[in-house]
Amino acid sequence: MSEGTFGNPEIVEVETDVLIVGGGMAACGAAYEAMRWAGDDVRVTLVDKAAMDRSGAVAQGLSAINTYLGDNSPEDYCRMVSADLMGITRDDLVFDVGRHVDDSVKLFEEWGLPIWKDKSTEGVALKDGGKPVNSGRWQIMINGESYKPIVAEAAKKAIGIENIYERVFIVKLLLDANNDNQIAGAVGFSVREHKLYVFRCKTLLNVCGGAVNIFRPRSTGEGMGRTWYPVWNAGSTYAMAAEVGAELTMMENRFVPCRFKDGYGPVGAWFLLFKSQAMNGYGENYMVKNADMLKDFAPYDTATVIPTCLRNHAMLKEMKDGLGPIMMDTPTAMAKLSETMTPKEVKHLEAEAWEDFLDMCIGQAGVWAGMNIRPEESASELMPTEPYLLGSHSGCCGIWVSGPKDISPPEWQWGYNRMTTVKGLFTAGDGVGASGHKFSSGSHAEGRIAAKNMVRYCREHADLVPELKGDINAITEEIYRPVRTYLEHKDKTTAEDINPHYITPKMYQMRLQKIMDEYVAGVSTYYNTNGKLLDMGLEYLEMLKEDSKHLRAKDLHELLRAWENYHRTRTAEAHLRHIMFREETRYPGFFYRADFPDLDDANWKVFVNSRMDPETGEWELKKVPHIDLVEKHYG
Amino acid sequence: MPTFVHTDKCDGCKGGEVTACAYICPHDLMKLDTDRMKAFNQEPEQCWECQCCVKACPQQAIEVRSFQDWVPMGGAAIPLRTDSAIMWTIKFRDGELKRFKFPIRTTQVGTIDPYGDKPQAGDINDELLFTEEGKSMPVIDASA
Repeated sequence: MSEGTFGNPEIVEVETDVLIVGGGMAACGAAYEAMRWAGDDVRVTLVDKAAMDRSGAVAQGLSAINTYLGDNSPEDYCRMVSADLMGITRDDLVFDVGRHVDDSVKLFEEWGLPIWKDKSTEGVALKDGGKPVNSGRWQIMINGESYKPIVAEAAKKAIGIENIYERVFIVKLLLDANNDNQIAGAVGFSVREHKLYVFRCKTLLNVCGGAVNIFRPRSTGEGMGRTWYPVWNAGSTYAMAAEVGAELTMMENRFVPCRFKDGYGPVGAWFLLFKSQAMNGYGENYMVKNADMLKDFAPYDTATVIPTCLRNHAMLKEMKDGLGPIMMDTPTAMAKLSETMTPKEVKHLEAEAWEDFLDMCIGQAGVWAGMNIRPEESASELMPTEPYLLGSHSGCCGIWVSGPKDISPPEWQWGYNRMTTVKGLFTAGDGVGASGHKFSSGSHAEGRIAAKNMVRYCREHADLVPELKGDINAITEEIYRPVRTYLEHKDKTTAEDINPHYITPKMYQMRLQKIMDEYVAGVSTYYNTNGKLLDMGLEYLEMLKEDSKHLRAKDLHELLRAWENYHRTRTAEAHLRHIMFREETRYPGFFYRADFPDLDDANWKVFVNSRMDPETGEWELKKVPHIDLVEKHYG
Repeated sequence: MPTFVHTDKCDGCKGGEVTACAYICPHDLMKLDTDRMKAFNQEPEQCWECQCCVKACPQQAIEVRSFQDWVPMGGAAIPLRTDSAIMWTIKFRDGELKRFKFPIRTTQVGTIDPYGDKPQAGDINDELLFTEEGKSMPVIDASA
C-alpha cells in the first residue's frame, strides 16, 4: 500500500488476542500480568495515545501512594470506601483491590520507586518488613517524580516494544459480526502519521482514564489546561464502552476536589501529614461550626473520615454565606511541627512541603512562587473545583463489571473478573464503577486482575475468530470526516476558523462546558440543578451531538481533539441522564438536586445502571439493588 | 500554564527521528516547526504544566511560564533531572531563590528485570496474581 497523506490515510490492520487500550497505571499493570500468563499462544498488544513513560494520570508523578493496606484488613478498607462514597459501593470489587494492592506497591519499590520509611526501619524494603511513613491510615509517602517511568519500564519490557503502538488514539470499539454482544476490535488513528489503525482481538481492556474538561473550569485563558485531574482524560473509557452497549453504573457520581486555589495543589499531605486546618475567612473551623448541618446525611456524617462531599458541603455553606475566603492555615501547622524540631529538621520539613507540589502538581509551586507565598509565612486559599468524572480516586462512576467468583454474589459475577456486560470487554482503574479509592496502586493491581482473566478468556475461547461488525471502510471514513470537512470548506471564508460549514474542536468543547456548567450543576450554580434545568441541558446536548458531525480538523492534532471532545460529549450525556434519574441528593457538596434536596436511603440506596442500545441510541436506566457484603459501621 | 522554548537553546533535536519534547508530551502539545527547526507549544491553553517536556529536553531549552490570566509575573519552578535525582530551583516574584533536591529512583534506568526471579504462571483458574503464588487469598469475613 502506498504511504498515506492528509486526506488519504493508509489503513493498517493489526491482529492480536489481548488488546490493551490505554497506557496508564491500569494498562501497565495489565501488560505486566498478561504477558506472564500468556505464554506463546496468546498475543498481547497495547495501544496508547501518548508515550507510556509519561501517559495517564501519574504522568507528572505523585507524592504519595494513596492505597496501601499494610496491617489494615480489606474489610476495613471496604468500610472506608463505602463511607466516603455515601454507602453505595461494590464490596466485592473494593475487597478484591484491597487484597491485591500491596503486591503491586512492593513491585514498584523493587523496580526503583523510593518509598519513605519510618526511622525504625530505614532502608528496609516493604517486602522485608520495612515500615512506610503513613500520612493517613491508607496513604504512604514516596519520592514519586519518576513513578510512571518506572512502572512503564516494567510494562514495556514485559510485553516488548514491538507490541506497543504509541501515539495512536482509539476512537471506537467494534462488536463482532457473528456473535451477539461480543467485542471484536477497535479503530483509531495515528496522531503522527497518516495512518488509520484497525485492531482485531478476542478480548479488550478499555482503560483510558476518567473525564476532565467536560465542565467549564474555574480557570480562564491559559490556565484552562491546568486542571486538577489530567487534562488529557477525555472520558474515552465511558464513551467507548457506552457505544458498544456496555452497562454503566453510578455515572451520576462525580468528584469535586477541594484544592489550593488556581494551581490545584494537593491538600492531603497538609491535612494528614502536617495536621493543618482549614477555616473560613474569619478564622472559624467550618467543620466544627457546621457539624449539625451534616446530621441530615447520617450515618455518613460521623464516619472516621468524614466523606469528601460532606466536607465540601460544609465549606460551600461558608462560601454561600459570604464568609470566604476558605484558607488553609499552613503557618500555624508548620510552627507547631517546628516546636520540637532542630533547625535542620525544620529545613527538611519545608522541603517536604514543597516536594508535595513538585512531585505531582508543579503548577501550584509556580502559583506560590509568582504570588510570593511561603507556607511557613502565609496561609493559602482553598477552592472547590469544577466537577470531574472518575472511578479510581474519590469518585465511583464507571462501568458495571463482574466481580471475583470467590467473593461476589451470583448477580455480581458472570465468569470473568472485571469483564463488563459485553463479552470479552474488560476494564479497570477509572473504568470500573462503584468502587473508588483505588488510586494509582489499586488501578495497577486491578489492571493485573483483569489481565489474568483476559488470558483465561482467550484460552477458553481459542476457536473464536473475531470478525468486525459493520462496514470498516465507512467507519474509517467517519473517523476521518473532520479532515474531509476541513478540506472541503476551508477556502470558502477568508479566516479559516470562522466558517459556517464547520465547528472547531475548541469552540465545540467550550459549548459542551457551558451546557454542563449551567444546566448540570457546575460551579456557576454552586453545583445546583433540577429536573427542568436537566431537561433543557439534554436538549442542548442533543444539538451539540448533531453538530459533532460538523467538527473540523485542520491537522492530526485537531483530529485528536475532535474525537476527544466527542468522547467528552458521550460521557457528559451519561452523567446528565444519571443525575436526572436519581431523584435525591446523595452527594451534597458534589452536586445538589434542588428539587430533591434530601438523602433518601429508603428509595435510593441503590445503584443506578444505564445502557445505551448501540443499534438505536436509546438509553435505558434502572435501579439495581445494593447489598453490603461487609457489615458496615462507620464510626 | 504553558511551556515556552528558548530560541537560542533549542536545536530541534538536531533533526533526529525523535524530537524529545514532542515524543514525551502526554497531551500532544509540543511540536517541531520544521522550517525553523525549533519546537513550540501548539496549544498553550491546554498545557497541564506537568513539565514532562522540560525534564526530557536534552538542551534544557524549555521552561514553564505560569498562566498570565491569573499568576503575577516573575515566579518560576525550574527542574534539572538526572537518572537518580531531581533538583528544583524555585524563583519567587520578589527574587528569592530556594533550591531542593529529591531522589527519584533507587535503581539504574533500564535495569528492571520484570520477571527475573518471579514465579512462573500458576493456576489460571484461581484468584492469585502470578507473583502471589503460594499465598492464600482472604475472602470476606463478615464479622472482621
